[in-house]
Amino acid sequence: MLPTAGVEGVLARALKGGADFAEVYAERSRKRRMSVRSGRLEEAISGLDYGVGIRLFFGTEVVYAYTNDLTEAGLQEALETLLRAKGTLGKVDARGQGGLDFRRRAPQGLHTPKVPLGEKDKRFRLERLLEAEAGARLAPEIKEVEASLLEWEQEVLIANTEGTWAEEKRVRTRLYVLAVAQDGAEVQTGMSAPGKSVGLELFELYPPKEVGAKAARQALTNLRAKPAPAGTMPVVVGPGFGGVIFHEALGHLLETTSVAKKASVLADRLGEAIASPVVTYIDDGTLPHAWGSSEVDDEGRPTERTVLIEKGVLRAYMVDRLGHLLTGYPLTGSGRRQDYTYAPTSRMRNTFLAPGESEVEDLFSGIEFGLYAKEMGGGQVKPGSGEYNFAVQEGYIIRKGRLEEPVRGAMLVGKGPETLKRVVAVAKDWENAPGMCGSLSGAVPVEVGQPHILVSELVVGGRA
Amino acid sequence: MTLEEAKAYLLRRAREMGLSAEVLFQEERELSLRAQQGVLEEIKEARQGGLGLRVVAEGRVGYAYTEELSQEALEWALAEARENALLSGKEGFLPEGKPLGHHDLLGEGLSAPLEAKKEAALELERALRSDPRTQSVMMAGYLEREARVALASTQGAEGGFRTGLAALGGSFVLKEGESLKQGWDFRPAKEFHALDPGRTALELREKTARLLGARPLRTGRYRAYLEPRAMAGLLRVFAEALSGKNALEGKSRLLGRLGEQVASAWVTLVDDPTLEKGLASRPFDAEGTPARPVTLIERGVFRSFLHNSETARALGQANTGHAFRRYRSTLDVAPSNLYLLPVGNLKLERGVLIAEFMGLHAGANPVSLDFSLQALGLWVEEGEVRHAVENFAVSGNLLELFQAIEALGEDLDWELMGSAYGSPTVAVAELSFAGA
Repeated sequence: MLPTAGVEGVLARALKGGADFAEVYAERSRKRRMSVRSGRLEEAISGLDYGVGIRLFFGTEVVYAYTNDLTEAGLQEALETLLRAKGTLGKVDARGQGGLDFRRRAPQGLHTPKVPLGEKDKRFRLERLLEAEAGARLAPEIKEVEASLLEWEQEVLIANTEGTWAEEKRVRTRLYVLAVAQDGAEVQTGMSAPGKSVGLELFELYPPKEVGAKAARQALTNLRAKPAPAGTMPVVVGPGFGGVIFHEALGHLLETTSVAKKASVLADRLGEAIASPVVTYIDDGTLPHAWGSSEVDDEGRPTERTVLIEKGVLRAYMVDRLGHLLTGYPLTGSGRRQDYTYAPTSRMRNTFLAPGESEVEDLFSGIEFGLYAKEMGGGQVKPGSGEYNFAVQEGYIIRKGRLEEPVRGAMLVGKGPETLKRVVAVAKDWENAPGMCGSLSGAVPVEVGQPHILVSELVVGGRA
Repeated sequence: MTLEEAKAYLLRRAREMGLSAEVLFQEERELSLRAQQGVLEEIKEARQGGLGLRVVAEGRVGYAYTEELSQEALEWALAEARENALLSGKEGFLPEGKPLGHHDLLGEGLSAPLEAKKEAALELERALRSDPRTQSVMMAGYLEREARVALASTQGAEGGFRTGLAALGGSFVLKEGESLKQGWDFRPAKEFHALDPGRTALELREKTARLLGARPLRTGRYRAYLEPRAMAGLLRVFAEALSGKNALEGKSRLLGRLGEQVASAWVTLVDDPTLEKGLASRPFDAEGTPARPVTLIERGVFRSFLHNSETARALGQANTGHAFRRYRSTLDVAPSNLYLLPVGNLKLERGVLIAEFMGLHAGANPVSLDFSLQALGLWVEEGEVRHAVENFAVSGNLLELFQAIEALGEDLDWELMGSAYGSPTVAVAELSFAGA
């Protein structure tokens, strides 16, 4: 249960202290993680995160405090510390004398789980994890399997001096299977990790046995794979988590966090053709039960569907409150943070490349020699230079238009704006996949997605 | 309840319930000041604390934590930890505890006035902006952290320490012609007065500017020179293979190789939690085992894993005092100040000087130790830097890389990534480079 007493007092006092805007973000999260290995529960932890973040704006200067002390006295003390740090202690503004007029926003239940956190006992969870582990025991080369379940129930309250009063309970569940395959001195891994904004019905959507088998198949494929070739070549990137290429090479460059400081190579380019015309790129926080969805963002605004790029033309950025103040671009409900210890910044939610016109087979047919990056790992980008990289978790050689032997250890590197122009075909299929995205405001759940795409030329890091 | 009251309450209730229990109590204070265009754009003041609980019920271990210190929350944590333990299939124990004393590793380190700290942040930003090639400053500021750690158990452990650091951090973009480079740095020290914003800005400008005007690198095999902080990133990945926990879980390629030559004879790798100015020094680990230096690789020979009491017992080896735990996590293993000993036989000849790796979390596999990483660097010929190179990836396997180390400089430098990782510049006979 989140405390509501004291919130209004803090906001009113902040205005009196000279702030132009004040916001309180309170959070109470229950988290559970269970890990299974060798047919038994290896480790289990349960936790309660409980804290509040207070943010004040003085023009575009931000002061932020957080504390675990959610008593009225604790909140007031955090606020006074902030005002002292800002140097306006004792200043009295005429505003904030009366009460604040809150528009309370009732949750719509768009992502309410079918099976809430408390409903099934831990034995039920353990049995599903054991199924996942057993599913991964496909071959004697599979030496180790680790299956974990993460459950996260986050209650938030966001109130601000503009009258926002939003409460939401967000439930997220993720199953994670790591398989280790070994043959002599050679060790390779495979991974599968579905997650959604749902409760334990995740196990119905993704049967644990199949999740385990998928991780194991990948580990076994990598075990017989040769090191990836090195050099520049055409690359077909698979659907689902393949979308991480756009997350890194494009998405991060469209957050006002870097755009406002002109620290993105894509700043000030609305209306320009920045990508090949087959590229339509969307960030949607409203997809029902998606891993990166929520009803309101962490600034208390309803999330929305934002078309960032339409047929290659830049249409919008992802905008949080500070980004809006700095750039004037309309808010897009993109203010997100890991938890109360971070002030929000503009972040992606569920970001994906829209399906195109091509048949999947046609993407491969013209390739003399290239790489099929079927499953991707993570990546990183420097928005200021556009340089990015991402790892291929499962890859195959394409020779004369046909899929051939598996290769491992491929890393794709490039510069975002160049890569965007080299996307020459987008297929009709489409899939999204969950991940955790780390940036200034911490690690937040996001989905990335896309159809199969063909990039005409990319640097593939492998053995020379 | 206060944290002290909560700790006492949990130990008392655990005894009443017939449980062995260990309470790890951590509290952290943070101040961060970020400058932009000559003003402070963000000031952050924070306190965070919580209790991590490890209990043993019927010979098995369970965990829970809470940041809420109401009686109801503490009871919930105890009940969850007990339930987690009873469900566990693995035998467990708590180590015998003893009085550990109370230590202060920070002293007056952060005791400068707030105004001086604000000025340091502003000066760093000003100095970064003063370069005519600066296109934008993404972030420039001052950060300080002070942490209190206390440990208590029903087995008799009792002690605590205070530590902390001050740091300057900056990230900016330089432009020359069409060439853009984003540079960043994070410079921590044990005390405020050891920080020097002007010098940090100058180093960051030089470090970034030398990468401008980079040319593509031709695909091929070249000798590689890894600068200290690039090598430190690889050490962080390699530390996973040194973890006794990963060894126990079949996720370390070093399992079964104690006493073998796993690296070239130039390689000596040490973890020393007692270093006086060490960024991650500590008097005892997360289970109360006193800290001592441990040689992990000695002249290329693998001498020891990093262990906590649980992994040491399971593998029948000596506990090295590397239990690691934050209150929100379960017991793990981690280094403190892990570093490659400088040698001083390094000479630049022909090859690629690697200044920075990108995408370590995705491009380096901590189990197989295969890596394929984007890198930024400089082409070196006849002992001189000729030009910058970009848009390439370096691939290999960390064990092969350690075998191929031919020389190490004297220039020990550190990177703080949870633990502190240190290295001199390292010369590697040959690595695979993918580029144009």
